Amino acid sequence: MSPLPRIFVTTLAVMAVIAVVGLIYFPRLLPDTTRIPVLVPITGFLSLEGTSQRNGAELALRDSGVAFDVDDTGTAPETAVNAFERALASGRDGENVIAVVAPMLGTQMLALVPLADEFDVPMVTVSGTARITELGSPNVFRFFPGDVVVKAAHARYAVEELGAKRPAVIFQTTAYGQSGRAELDRNLTALGAPPVFAEGLDVTVKDMLPVLSKAQDSGADALLLHLHAGPTALVIRQARTMGLDIPIIAGSAMHQPETAALLEPRELDGVCAESGASPISESDPAMRAFVEQYRDAFDREPDAFALAQYDGVQMVLRAFELGARTAANVRDWLSTQKHEGLAMTYASDGKGNMAHSAVILCYAGDSRVPAIVKRYENLTGVL
Amino acid sequence: MLGAQLALNAVALGAAYALVAIGFVLVLNATTAVNFAHGESVVAGGFAAVALTGALVTLLPAGNAIPGIVLLPGVLALTALLGLAIAALAYLPIRNRPPVSVFVTTIAFGIIVTNGLNAAFGAAPRAAPALLGTGTIEFLGLTASRQSLPIIATAALLIGALAFVLQRTQLGRQFRACAQDPEMARALGIRLTRITLLAFALGTAFAGAAGLLLAHQFFVTPSDGAGLILKAYIAVVIGGWGSLRGATIGAMLIAFFEVGVASFSSQPLAEGLLYVAVLLVLLIRPDGIFGEPQRVRA
Repeated sequence: MSPLPRIFVTTLAVMAVIAVVGLIYFPRLLPDTTRIPVLVPITGFLSLEGTSQRNGAELALRDSGVAFDVDDTGTAPETAVNAFERALASGRDGENVIAVVAPMLGTQMLALVPLADEFDVPMVTVSGTARITELGSPNVFRFFPGDVVVKAAHARYAVEELGAKRPAVIFQTTAYGQSGRAELDRNLTALGAPPVFAEGLDVTVKDMLPVLSKAQDSGADALLLHLHAGPTALVIRQARTMGLDIPIIAGSAMHQPETAALLEPRELDGVCAESGASPISESDPAMRAFVEQYRDAFDREPDAFALAQYDGVQMVLRAFELGARTAANVRDWLSTQKHEGLAMTYASDGKGNMAHSAVILCYAGDSRVPAIVKRYENLTGVL
Repeated sequence: MLGAQLALNAVALGAAYALVAIGFVLVLNATTAVNFAHGESVVAGGFAAVALTGALVTLLPAGNAIPGIVLLPGVLALTALLGLAIAALAYLPIRNRPPVSVFVTTIAFGIIVTNGLNAAFGAAPRAAPALLGTGTIEFLGLTASRQSLPIIATAALLIGALAFVLQRTQLGRQFRACAQDPEMARALGIRLTRITLLAFALGTAFAGAAGLLLAHQFFVTPSDGAGLILKAYIAVVIGGWGSLRGATIGAMLIAFFEVGVASFSSQPLAEGLLYVAVLLVLLIRPDGIFGEPQRVRA
């Protein structure tokens, strides 16, 4: 076999050098691009909710003219920090990041707040962890109602609408669970119905009979849950098996269609839950259009996390449309303006809490689609 | 009556945990290596049942459900293949390296399985079909889930079959020989690699069966593996490193704490007391209840 002609080898070498140099310098030659990085936990224990968060952001950003890319933050704070630094600092010359969709995992958000302040870029999130908006950062904007809002609705519905006087509370031992439990305790006590029983559960607990039998023995007349999706379904199933005949008002994990799918409609009969929203329960045309668009795009049902993140990104895009071209412009807009989203009206309370309303939804026992039975608007008085 | 109800629940849960722990010990005995992908194998069993249901349900007239017991052979076969993959990719290539290498490769394999399941099935909890039927049954004044008794029966059947193979067959004798002294077993003509592959296949199939049993009543998510491997590990530490009988006792003890102790204390306290019990066992019998000094392995 004859060796390759020298001219051919030389041409290949020159092309390789041009390609390498081009790869290094090409991004710098691009025109300015406006970009919103989407940093969400799509693997790990929060991946169900994180996937909803990603989908909501992605649906809003499609066809928006704003570039975006999705990075998985997993569950470790350092993974989120690395993703954030990659998104904002490395090799992105010529790009204009006007906001970041930040992970809903509270521990990751707490690690990202100093970085957001350092890079001076607003973060739009649906994290429920109360502390993220208590650090004094001007760059955190939470579009999902925090525990202060939803637990007020949770407690009020149990006491004012169902007449509970001796509620029992079962919560998760995670930071999420303890934050919600504290708010439930505070609200129930303020309403004159302090919990007669409260117990925390690890997320790995499988058999719920022990905790439910103790709740029953306490003489509780209502059961309030603040648990993740799987444990919520386990408690409801076990309560039905043991014939526990008191109202169950679950936390927002219950509103997720994936949670309802774990139970038979008859097991859901009479179960209620709090949530920021329930897209599949709404009949409003704009909401129906969102639900259809979401189903077409992702082949699943949207939940309140997806909707809240969609609304949050839409508010950023609205600011961009109206001339906010820098991160500082967008932050100012988010801090000072109201936004009519699909789920509710959003406005900052001065700390970055944008959502102030909640709904209570209940299942009738004949389907897995709940009906909204009560709306609690503007619980914080901000709007 | 509540006590009897709790006892039934604890035995059912313990039976499923025992399958997990026994599978873990089978591999441990054959290789002296800890397979940290074992928890993910349980999860894979649950998702194999979900996938098989999805595939088979299309062959049936609408409205017909597939009982989980029909899926059991398929789940055992699929997870046995997974076990062979773990052996071929995460153990055999590095079996002569320090044990920590196998820790790392099996942990890595487990992460790949978790993320693969997440990508294929999504992160939401999923439920496998019930073994025989859903709902509850009443007997002797107890209201039991229809899943509880079949779980106990299936686990007992599988554990009994394994005990028979290990104690009464030539293959079982080879397993035990490799567990006690692999070099001598090899010198006597036993094909160590074949036994290793069989141990991984059988151990992972047991994990898969546990996944099927757990995934109806308690659901399954891709990230459940870490909690399950911890339970298997504790069961083996309590029962004795390498003892199948000890693993079963250890698994039952974990379930007793989770269900029994939690019913008169609190769940976090019960979990704390379980670890106190583990420490006490290690103080009084450092090798576990049926541990090494008795040389009762496999």
